[in-house]
Amino acid sequence: MNIIELSGITKTFGSVKAVNNLSLEVPSGSIYGFIGPNGSGKTTTIRMIMKIMYPDSGKLLVNGRETNLERLNDVGYLPEDRGLYKKMKIGELLQFHGELNDGTDLPNRINYWLERLELKAYKEKKVETLSKGMRQKLQFIATILHQPKLIILDEPFTGLDPVNADMMKDIILELQQQGATIIFSTHDMAMAERMCDYIFMIYKGKKVLDGTLENIQDQYGNDTLRIQSDLGAEALKDLKGIENVNNFGKLQEIRLEEGVDPQKILVELLKKTRISKFELTKPSLNDIFIRIAAPERKEVTHA
Amino acid sequence: MHKIWTLFKREYRAAVRTKSFIISLLLVPIMMGGGFVAMVIMDKNKDTDDKKFVVIDHSGLMIDPMKKALEKRNNEEIFNSKTGEKIDAPYVVEFMDPDIQDPETQRLALSNRVESQELYAFIEIGPDILHPAGENKQAYLKYYSQHSFNDQARYWFQNVVNNSVQKIRAAELNLDETQAKDLLWYINVEGMGLVTVDKKTGEQVDAEKTNELQTFLVPYALLIMMFMLVMMSAIPQLSSVMEEKNEKIAEVLLGTITPFQFMMGKVMGGIGVSLTIAAIYIGAGVFTLNYIGMNSLIPVDVLPWFFIYTILFVLMVGSGMAALGATCNDNKDAQSLTFPAMLPTIIPMFLIAPVIADPTGPMATTLALIPPFTPTIMVMRMASTVTIPMWQPFAGLLGVIIFTLFSVWIGARIFRTAILIQGQKPNLATLYKYAFKG
Repeated sequence: MNIIELSGITKTFGSVKAVNNLSLEVPSGSIYGFIGPNGSGKTTTIRMIMKIMYPDSGKLLVNGRETNLERLNDVGYLPEDRGLYKKMKIGELLQFHGELNDGTDLPNRINYWLERLELKAYKEKKVETLSKGMRQKLQFIATILHQPKLIILDEPFTGLDPVNADMMKDIILELQQQGATIIFSTHDMAMAERMCDYIFMIYKGKKVLDGTLENIQDQYGNDTLRIQSDLGAEALKDLKGIENVNNFGKLQEIRLEEGVDPQKILVELLKKTRISKFELTKPSLNDIFIRIAAPERKEVTHA
Repeated sequence: MHKIWTLFKREYRAAVRTKSFIISLLLVPIMMGGGFVAMVIMDKNKDTDDKKFVVIDHSGLMIDPMKKALEKRNNEEIFNSKTGEKIDAPYVVEFMDPDIQDPETQRLALSNRVESQELYAFIEIGPDILHPAGENKQAYLKYYSQHSFNDQARYWFQNVVNNSVQKIRAAELNLDETQAKDLLWYINVEGMGLVTVDKKTGEQVDAEKTNELQTFLVPYALLIMMFMLVMMSAIPQLSSVMEEKNEKIAEVLLGTITPFQFMMGKVMGGIGVSLTIAAIYIGAGVFTLNYIGMNSLIPVDVLPWFFIYTILFVLMVGSGMAALGATCNDNKDAQSLTFPAMLPTIIPMFLIAPVIADPTGPMATTLALIPPFTPTIMVMRMASTVTIPMWQPFAGLLGVIIFTLFSVWIGARIFRTAILIQGQKPNLATLYKYAFKG
């Protein structure tokens, strides 16, 4: 069963089509990753799902309902731009958000989540005393406090250190196991690859990818080589049949031109240097993203 | 409804828990009544040092009567009759012959003495004050001082001179004291209310004497209070919403509540704040008036209307302010919109005098039935001593309810569209677009 169904959704701002004839189905209980370059229409799509904005045309069902005049209490939303009342105390703020969403057992749940996200000591402090990362965690608690069935997170990991990002990732996975559907937008392709059951990419308002990671990678075939050699990126210079090189320093990921035999590349490389790794693989999500969002560039990216 | 209630609670607490709320609660009445209090304090702490005057009497008639009056004043009137404490300054008068040859030089010399504070003032009495009627008569009484506009001494000399010449004129006509009093008796018109019938007992109730204080003070106080309530609870909605928009709080909340619920929660919070302030001020006012034995000034019949109209007025102005706040991107935008949006609140302040002077006149009646002005003007008229036709408060209320619903509807539409739009300057064209085209 789908918790969200978008059918032919279009949203225009002036002369710009922010979202163009978008159709999408989000199955219940899944983690759906929204990816796309800045300004591609991710946030607009999320805002329409949240009914903060209304589409110009198309049909949008959340939990099977279309009405624009009400808000569903079993949805939790973490917007891209964090906004909290700075003068409120943390405990009061969470109580306010919990009440606004018809949450139950709020005092215990507030204590639980503050403890879990290491904010318990700040419960009686004002929001303005918190660091940016702490505020992000606080807003995350406000999003999930009322145990929503659908959780929409717009770039939830931005601004978090690796420890906190990992902590949030674990919680998101835990919430999924408890039955929640998670939608999150991100620029962190590795995180999307690891966490998402489905990935949707929007580019210039149009859907360009939608499916499981395997399905998406299958569309691009085995055209990627991961190579480790003594010469590193130098070994790849003047090599024919290479469309793009992604240099990670100790490892180079290359995209082959269509119809090029990887064995020929291996032979050419062995003439130049000693090879310690040569792997033919599917393109990473990051590579697919770059292929779509910057197709004209033949860049060498230093990760 | 519970979402509006939750937002209401937050808004109410956020407003009343601040130090600025407590300070304004205390400061506003102090500022409003500050002048009155200052007058009382100054009156109680009068300067009791001698005040020196020079009198130039061209008539030659006033020296003796003035000396007698001065003696009485300085020996009796400036002392508290019970405690004997000196409560006012003695007047010390130097009588000076007029300089017929060079009166201007004499006046300049005296003016210099006043300026150097040797003298408090000097007075010039014209030669013809006894019989001023006729051509080319010089029947003047001139008081030269640095602050002659509002000076008690000036009125004291005026009374002494007039009383004295009246006595001399009566004597010239051989009138005794009673006849003289009859001749000079001036009858003041007495302001009365109307004779009414008690609805419960059916008995006729005599007309009451019009209380001058009530005529002005009660309508004025209620108008000022309504103005204050709107200023403290509805006007701040503009900056509050603008802040929520710029701090991105609005988007967080709009994921949970509709724009209408958001706006209504905020405006209801404003109503809560205004009712709290009203309850405090009116409670304090009623207590004070009871305490000083002036409870007849409490407009018991008008107070329910006052509360109803105040709630609607805050709702009307507050929803407009919230909507405008949603269109603002920065303080500059907010400043440019605040003044025009406040006009319905400010304009009645300039109409206090004409409305109180003629509460049933065409101007007051018409303004009272124009919804943005109804709450203030209607309450002012109802609090006056004049009885206005009973249909008018109800008609005004109906108009205000319809206008408030319209204002909330338009406000919600503007709010809904504008709250997430950044960078668009608010002007009439954009407001129209937000309101009617979405």
